Amino acid sequence: MKRHRALLEHVLGALFRRRGRNAAITLGMAALVGLFSSVLFVSEALRAEYRALAVTLPDLTVQQLVAGRPALVEAAAITRIEALALPGLASIRPRVWGYLYVPSIEGNVVIVGGAGTDAPGVLEGGRWAEGEDEIVIGNGIAHLLGARVGDELALAGPGASPAILRVVGVLSGQTAALSADLVLTTEARARALLGMTAAGFTDLAVTLARPEEAGVVAEAIAAALPGARLLDRRLLERTHELTFDARAGFLGAVMLPALLALLLLAWDRLTGLGDAERREIGVLKAVGWSTSDVLAARMWESALVGLVGATLGLVVGYVHAFVFGAPGLADALFGWSSLHASLSLPPALDFAQLLAILGAVVVPFVGVSVVPAWRAAMLDPDRLLRGGP
Amino acid sequence: MTVALATFELTKRYIDGERRRVAVDAVSLSIDTGRLVALRGPSGSGKTTLLGLAGGMIAPTSGDVQLFGASIVHLRDAHRTTLRRERIGFVFQELALVPDMSLLENVLLPLVPTGGAGRAERERALALLARFGLQGREASRASRLSGGERQRGAQARALLRDPSILLLDEPTAHLDAKGAAEVVSLLAGLRDEGRTIVCATHDPRLANDPRVDHTWTMTDGRLMDPDAPRPEAPAC
Ligand SMILES: Nc1ncnc2c1ncn2[C@@H]1O[C@H](COP(=O)(O)OP(=O)(O)OP(=O)(O)O)[C@@H](O)[C@H]1O
Ligand SMILES: [Mg+2]
Repeated sequence: MKRHRALLEHVLGALFRRRGRNAAITLGMAALVGLFSSVLFVSEALRAEYRALAVTLPDLTVQQLVAGRPALVEAAAITRIEALALPGLASIRPRVWGYLYVPSIEGNVVIVGGAGTDAPGVLEGGRWAEGEDEIVIGNGIAHLLGARVGDELALAGPGASPAILRVVGVLSGQTAALSADLVLTTEARARALLGMTAAGFTDLAVTLARPEEAGVVAEAIAAALPGARLLDRRLLERTHELTFDARAGFLGAVMLPALLALLLLAWDRLTGLGDAERREIGVLKAVGWSTSDVLAARMWESALVGLVGATLGLVVGYVHAFVFGAPGLADALFGWSSLHASLSLPPALDFAQLLAILGAVVVPFVGVSVVPAWRAAMLDPDRLLRGGP
Repeated sequence: MTVALATFELTKRYIDGERRRVAVDAVSLSIDTGRLVALRGPSGSGKTTLLGLAGGMIAPTSGDVQLFGASIVHLRDAHRTTLRRERIGFVFQELALVPDMSLLENVLLPLVPTGGAGRAERERALALLARFGLQGREASRASRLSGGERQRGAQARALLRDPSILLLDEPTAHLDAKGAAEVVSLLAGLRDEGRTIVCATHDPRLANDPRVDHTWTMTDGRLMDPDAPRPEAPAC
């Protein structure tokens, strides 16, 4: 204990004596860990958000395809499904929703009609839409337009004149990535905005008593409805996770060489133990330091540099991802609506994850810097003091 | 009279590129406790190497070294470390101080692995520095000291643990006449306290001093016959 305190004191002195070099290594480490952890934080936040949202999705979604394109689902389809008298079926709910281009934000919003408390997302303020001229908007739209509860927005459907709609509620940013661009309103208003004059629906949301029967039920429905396409929530979830994994994996692959480069750089700097450092080890050994004393000091030194660098990097990554919304990275990871690029991500942090990143960086770093010191410390002091290789 | 240091057929060969070079060639000697001994010889004759072998700083190619009757050649690292720390005070020819540490920090360096310096150790270090004429220089960075000051600082450090054997390489190298005389007096005083001291030197001011008990001469790695009459100082 006393030994380690004295060694640590010596190491702090050594860190200060070699402050230029140590500062450079710390900063390089911080930059790389920052980049790496930012990608990890963003993809992890998106995944966590999707998981929260997936709970609100129906077990099965029934769409109608005509000539390969999605068309409206007729009301008759509901009776046809009910006629099958499937035992696992809990409810069938027709939905009205679609995309609307809004010139003032230069992007699409998702209009959802007739959705009440079963709508995706959680209200942050206000209430759900009830009257014909009322809407609830997603966090992203609210942010982009600076709109709050009580404000009025003008939205125009295709070929129609704009309608003045009152914002009665705003969705919480907790599920921002997937509810940011929603506009919830009554079914009639949604039909008007989406130009859906016919009595059909966008799709049917099917809830099951036992979600694990989704496959069987989907097959029965598909057989009864020619041209129907069935989306299984659990399959969607899996696809979604895979997509994010692929995106994050791609970025990881891009950054791996950079990480290796840092390790190589560190290796190069540290294997070429300077003449001065070799002499210093020679002095230490000559005055009675054992090889393990020299190594312990070295380990403390690089562990401190590595820990400070990596922790700094995690802070940089956190700030980049969650305070600034991951500029530069968000496009690669979100890759869809322009609305999303401006959203702020809710932090989803896992302590174990942080420890894993720290370990993955610091342990090899310490290893890489101890090896050359170890090789030097094995030599005779006389040899080290004479200099040369 | 016990034997403090003895070597038997001690040999060190270096492979220097293509050539093999015998730095120390089958040296056998024996030094009693409480003696001040000088090891002289021309440059490259193997003085530093012999001193390093005797102090466990260099591993021999063959032969044996015994300190107080115990061989140190086949010791494991931990024991060799203890030996260097507790029993032997070794002072290298140069570069023996860490340049960007202060003089006092350098002197206290041997104590770090055993828990660092307390008040008593600091006071002892300051007293040793004063004894070597370095009071007031404790806080100076080693790189700012003169060659002679550095040499004396390293000598003070070698005494920190009160070793029974002191091995010094060119202890008067960077000193003027007055400084050299002071160091010789210091060494004679340390010898009178009962320590065994071996100095490698080609400085006649040390080798020919009457207080030196014995002078050995090396040439080409070989030790001249120790029983031969002591060479006279050349008349200047
Ligand atoms: N690590 C080494 N590798 C190769 N040759 C070495 C090594 N160390 C010493 N030598 C050689 O061994 C011989 C003896 O060297 P040593 O340093 O012992 O001489 P010295 O008597 O102390 O000389 P000086 O008076 O100049 O200090 C020299 O020829 C030297 O070049
Ligand atoms: Mg020499």
